[in-house]
Amino acid sequence: MAMTTRQRARMSKTIQIAIFIIAIIALVLAVDWNKAIYAFFSFDKLGPMFPGMILVGLKNTIFYTIISFAFGLILGLLLALMKMASFAPYRWFATAFIEFFRGIPAILVLLAFGFGLPQAFGTQWPQPVNVMCALGLVSAAYIAETLRAGLQAVPKGQTEAARSLGMPAWRAMVTIVIPQAFKIVLPPMTNEIILLTKDTSLAFILGASMAQYEMTKFGRDGISQIDAGITPLVVAGLFYLVITIPLSLVARKFESRAAKTKR
Amino acid sequence: MSTDTNELSVHASGVEITGLRKSYGSNEVLKGIDLNVAPGEVVCLIGPSGSGKSTLLRCVNLLEQPNGGTIMVGGFNVTDPDVNLDKMRQQVGMVFQQFNLFPHLTVLENCTISPIKVLKRKKAEAQKVALRNLERVGLGDFGDRYPDQLSGGQQQRVAIARALSMEPTLMLFDEPTSALDPETVGEVLSIMKNLAQAGMTMLVVTHEMAFAKEVADRVFFMDGGVVVEEGKAVDVIGNPQQPRTQDFLRRVLDPTHVDI
Repeated sequence: MAMTTRQRARMSKTIQIAIFIIAIIALVLAVDWNKAIYAFFSFDKLGPMFPGMILVGLKNTIFYTIISFAFGLILGLLLALMKMASFAPYRWFATAFIEFFRGIPAILVLLAFGFGLPQAFGTQWPQPVNVMCALGLVSAAYIAETLRAGLQAVPKGQTEAARSLGMPAWRAMVTIVIPQAFKIVLPPMTNEIILLTKDTSLAFILGASMAQYEMTKFGRDGISQIDAGITPLVVAGLFYLVITIPLSLVARKFESRAAKTKR
Repeated sequence: MSTDTNELSVHASGVEITGLRKSYGSNEVLKGIDLNVAPGEVVCLIGPSGSGKSTLLRCVNLLEQPNGGTIMVGGFNVTDPDVNLDKMRQQVGMVFQQFNLFPHLTVLENCTISPIKVLKRKKAEAQKVALRNLERVGLGDFGDRYPDQLSGGQQQRVAIARALSMEPTLMLFDEPTSALDPETVGEVLSIMKNLAQAGMTMLVVTHEMAFAKEVADRVFFMDGGVVVEEGKAVDVIGNPQQPRTQDFLRRVLDPTHVDI
């Protein structure tokens, strides 16, 4: 009983759908729904988490993201320019910096700032400064590579034309190259900010005062203080999406506008 | 002089190149070039690709760093390590094969950005000069467009207007029509011809022999990093003396000709 190719394809599809439906049914039957709903969706018990989650947690997550990104962007731009410099030691330094901070976990850098610096220098910086420096250093390593790729993607003729018009090198960079590179680096830079937003969750490890908690810390405290399974973490996760999804949408809007005009 | 009412006053400066050498690694592309351009003179550089014409041109405003020899432009010793490079380049306009307009700026902004940022002109004044130059190249109504909305020929005309807006005393053209569609070559060449008639000093690398013959005062034929033949345009192109010049011109002027 030979089947045509089309019949075989249809048969295969039917089998796949059947397996999928059976798997779903099995899962639904196997799960203890009372426990699952308690563990993940006990939203009614989360009253104590608010309004701190939003007024302190969300605010601090956004605040840490912005200061870390600002620091990372400035340092990253500096490193990118150093990596393209004709003076070799600049390039060596930038390469070493990038390889080091890109290669080690962000949490180690954070711990070094939180616990290493006080021991080594006897200075205790406030938590926001530690977070800004640690995450800024790490993101600078990534940002530097993104910016370098973007700057080098601008045709060399643009710099030559600008220099021929009497512009000094820095002026050609600022007025001609960087604005064009900005459009090129927008998508990878959006990625960078989203990663950074999530990395601010590592700040909980520095055990700050209540006013310095970010959203993950609120979620973790919620688990131990409220009898609601891990629902506090689910809520924290949802609030990260509240930040990152609009960010993606804004970036996509920018991108499509840039694509439409090709400039 | 031309009677064009759209005329710009041109303050022209000359170029003196002596013993110019340039190497890339062990590959010597300029082997001691001597070349003078008098103020207001038009000189065309012709020759096969790889002969060093573009490199020579790019040495004049130091887009390439020469390895030896001297270049004087107006009052500037270009090859002096202490030369004020940006001041020198403000006097030397350059037009590229690939136009190199700034794609993120409008046509008018392309022409005003450097006068405003570098020469510190007032915006209104810079725009007035830029508009006059855009009118001069026949694009007075195109100020609000972006470069990617223009044809190749129009882009190259904007590039010329952009260079002129710095009020240079010398213009360098690096194969300005080589990247153009054939039907737009003429509009660019005719603007260059007007500019020559206005008294601008021009150093032009080109493959347009008819243009060189008609517009240039003198022509230099280069091959293998040396000047093989130089002289009046009509002589070098119309009656070349050197076998290499004769051979090159035969191939350029009659591309379908094959020596058997």
